[in-house]
Amino acid sequence: MKVRWELLLIPGFLITILLIVSSQYVFLQGSFHRDLGLGRLSEAMNLGNYFKFFSDTFYLNTLWITIKTSALATLSTILLGFPVAYLIARMRSRWAMILLAGVVVATFVTIVIKVFGLIIIFSADGWLNRFLLWVGFIDRPYTIIGNEVGVVVGLMHFTLGFGVLLLYSVIQTIPRSYEDAAQIHGASRWRVHWRIMLPLSLPGITVGALMIFNMSMGAFTSAALLGGGRVFTLPVLIQRTVMMEIKYAMAGTLAAVLLVSVILINLLSVYLLKRLKAARLVIA
Amino acid sequence: MKYRKSFIATSVAMALGVGSVLATGASLAGEFDGVTLKVGTWGGSWKENIVNVIVPKFEAEGGTIEFVTGSPQANLAKLIAGRGKAPFDIMEILDAQIQDFRSAEFLQPLSLDAIPNKAHLEDWQVSDDTIGSWFTQETICYNKDKFAELGIEPPKTYSDLANPKLEGRLSIPDITSGGGLANFGAFAHAGGGDEANIQPGLDLVKSMNALKFWSRGGEVVTQFQSGDVYAAVVHAGWCVRAKNAGSNVTTVHPYINDQHTGVHKHGWLGIMKSSENAAAANWFINEYLDAGFQFEFATKSGVVPVNKEAIGRLSEDPVLDEMLQTSSEEISQQLRIDYSKADIADWTDQWNRSVAQ
Repeated sequence: MKVRWELLLIPGFLITILLIVSSQYVFLQGSFHRDLGLGRLSEAMNLGNYFKFFSDTFYLNTLWITIKTSALATLSTILLGFPVAYLIARMRSRWAMILLAGVVVATFVTIVIKVFGLIIIFSADGWLNRFLLWVGFIDRPYTIIGNEVGVVVGLMHFTLGFGVLLLYSVIQTIPRSYEDAAQIHGASRWRVHWRIMLPLSLPGITVGALMIFNMSMGAFTSAALLGGGRVFTLPVLIQRTVMMEIKYAMAGTLAAVLLVSVILINLLSVYLLKRLKAARLVIA
Repeated sequence: MKYRKSFIATSVAMALGVGSVLATGASLAGEFDGVTLKVGTWGGSWKENIVNVIVPKFEAEGGTIEFVTGSPQANLAKLIAGRGKAPFDIMEILDAQIQDFRSAEFLQPLSLDAIPNKAHLEDWQVSDDTIGSWFTQETICYNKDKFAELGIEPPKTYSDLANPKLEGRLSIPDITSGGGLANFGAFAHAGGGDEANIQPGLDLVKSMNALKFWSRGGEVVTQFQSGDVYAAVVHAGWCVRAKNAGSNVTTVHPYINDQHTGVHKHGWLGIMKSSENAAAANWFINEYLDAGFQFEFATKSGVVPVNKEAIGRLSEDPVLDEMLQTSSEEISQQLRIDYSKADIADWTDQWNRSVAQ
């Protein structure tokens, strides 16, 4: 008798769906009611909160900042993480495992500690600012607290280790012999990367980038600490709406908009990737 | 035979011994045997002060204390999410929240007879369902060395912080921080507005050009240490901690208007309606108001005791004596925000829109 191992997936799948759907249902359902104060919601359902969101530039600007900082953080993570992942993946010595272990350990460090490390490095009297002032690159200390640059740096710091691990697993699936063959036939290193590595790894990079983007869209701590109370991303605004304004319905609306935005951006990316494949710009 | 007599005598002696131990144990049974009191309060050194002083006394009475740590705003959110079924028996409440607690009927009446230390408080600090537990003096904390370097006089008002030399060197409480609402209300008053007219406060905040809106007081201590900020609007306790951490800082109690100098934020204790440990909770409140604990708490955290006996001892600590206003005349002149006139949700919304980049 054939054992149907795939049935083992069902409990985990059901639990995951239940947890995701039930928590999102509470938010989504609440978003269609009016706030009556102290977490109480009106009986009647309406779209008032959504009209408010899409007619108010403050909320729209918050959504734009959330997408922009997440996209920039994703791009930075990929650009910084790919060379690191490539080097580790192609390394033949035992240093590869040590470096990989270092990346894994770094991902375990809580984001609060990482962010405070950034704050210390970029402090006015920190070594980085002292050095930049000394060489005359800047004429006054530069800070990353309270601006979008800081939020992008914080999000990148949050996702970099995870990004390197994802990209490492992607690069590992591409046989080294492809690169060797191209080089034997006279391709330069740059051409090998541009014509072999990039097309072969692009589907993996896209999936990795989407995961990093999704993590960044929902990240709270980096945005809250480095945004310095000036840069509002949607997760930061949701926290303030729940904790200070005690408006659960509006917070639910913000959460729903965040969720739908992430889903739409993911679907759009998958669609674009399919178009690239169809145009044979990507090999999968 | 001799052995048998000896055995019986020993057995009787042992039985008497065990009996007397049991009897003594029974007579030593604590007032709160088996009771687990859950307290909603801040974490870190705030909780540690309670752990070091009150917890051992409660344990001596046979009970245990567990903590649900978080800001009062976070604990209120837990309460609302639990539809009034609180994950704690007793909670630290800010003055800005009292109206919410009362309108939602989250509190049960206190047993004031079980709180004899209430006699050391001002009358207005004692009510049927809440009792004052400490207060903070919201100040301008500034680095004396940096101000001297820049040739700036010590600030007297919030407007003095709008000095261009302080651009990007100032830290102001975010509205979500513990002192955020009290200080924002003070900005409104200092700017010529009040609880119902906050626009002057928003204008004043914008004119100050802060580096950061801090959400936890510990950030201010770090910012002074790292040299990122030269001045901060923060309660005196954080300035005490910044000084203890090595920064050459001191406080100024800002002039608000002709009636008020300095800003007052009050902390309260209340017992949750859902609590089944009211007796233990009242006992806890009484211990919290004890002069010894209040003074110890003040010296370690920089908050001001409500117990008048403990206030009288503040001058024993030179740092507190320097940073706090301790005379009843000074304290009575401090601005207390009237939250009955404030729409906190609107304050927060206006603040978000005003400070957002």
